[in-house]
Amino acid sequence: MTHDDRLPEAMRTAARGYNTPPELTGADLDEMWSAIEAGAFEAPPQSARGAAAAAARRWVTMRNVLPIAAVLLVGVAIGRFTARGAASQAPAAARVAASDSLALPEPYQTTTSRYLGQTAALLATLPAEARAGQANDQLLASAHDLLLTTRLLLDSPAASDPRIRTLLDDLELVLAQIVRLQTDDGRSELELIRMALEQRDVIPRLRTAVADISADD
Amino acid sequence: MTSSALAFEARAFVSGEPELIARVVAGDRSAARELYDAHAPRVFRLAFRLTGDNELARELTQETFIRAFAQLGRFRGDSALSTWLHRVTVSVVSNGMRKVKRFRARETDLDEAGTVPAQNRDGDPDMRDKLYRAIDELPEIYRTTLVMHDVEGYTHEEIANVLGVAEGTCKSRLSVARAQLRQKLAPFAKEWLE
Repeated sequence: MTHDDRLPEAMRTAARGYNTPPELTGADLDEMWSAIEAGAFEAPPQSARGAAAAAARRWVTMRNVLPIAAVLLVGVAIGRFTARGAASQAPAAARVAASDSLALPEPYQTTTSRYLGQTAALLATLPAEARAGQANDQLLASAHDLLLTTRLLLDSPAASDPRIRTLLDDLELVLAQIVRLQTDDGRSELELIRMALEQRDVIPRLRTAVADISADD
Repeated sequence: MTSSALAFEARAFVSGEPELIARVVAGDRSAARELYDAHAPRVFRLAFRLTGDNELARELTQETFIRAFAQLGRFRGDSALSTWLHRVTVSVVSNGMRKVKRFRARETDLDEAGTVPAQNRDGDPDMRDKLYRAIDELPEIYRTTLVMHDVEGYTHEEIANVLGVAEGTCKSRLSVARAQLRQKLAPFAKEWLE
């Protein structure tokens, strides 16, 4: 920021050796190119009309699925939270399920619970926004605030529980996509969302989580 | 590296770039290869700096170009292609690192740093390792900013464009990253000043 906050010279010099990359040879470049060429240009052929129709189907599907998926994710976490509180009064059989509840450090429980509630409320409004064709400024501002909270929680002891960390990771992604709606055109945004959902196996995980919740009931 | 890391590339390559992009979008593989040759070393370099793992950096470089070629038709030229490409790189690396961390967390009880260990760590084993471990342990947004600025020599403007944040945010993140490093290395401050 200023010269005052610069690192000592010896540290700056040493830092430049952090993860020093090897030089790529021509063979390295060729090898990587083969994989890229196969991945980028050798996909199964599809007609332009077919591609457009597939993209449209994905758009419609994603427009409906994404908010529902996100709300379910939040619901799963809230369900786990409440299961913890109810465990002490539950019959023995139910306590087995409750033992799987989230273990958050005490000071973070309220904050995380409130954050999850706010995120659920925001995501619940998404289908209407999507039907309207664009998100309103208030929603984008809320998503931005919640994204910051998500990142703070990810860097806090609240993320020490692996399940809450995974959920926060996914919510960070969803919220980041919403925030980006103000700058990106819808199609490129949808492509990113589609890839993210695929890469993170969100839908299969959701089905598993919903099945787990049903089993607990 | 004090001068802009991306500026040289941008100057060297920008002249024929729009035509090249149009050819790639039209499916011309030789144009794609030309574009790849011009940018791959830099993309790999950034991926390696952020991951510290040769194989992973290669995979992420490949993923970056596959994704970039798929989305190149939507590149509107609002920024330099190199900036856009580095934005894709940081996004791909970030997702890739999370996957690796999750996988490793599930498979083994690895070190608390939770990051991919670097391979090429020579030099003063003691002080350098302390510094590198401290950098490894920085939260992702701070580590990325610090690596891009203090290690790779990107300007604040370039980092802000790549990360999609304000320049002020970038400066603030760098300041926090440096402060955290100083704090972690405070017990050895004298040695660094000698």
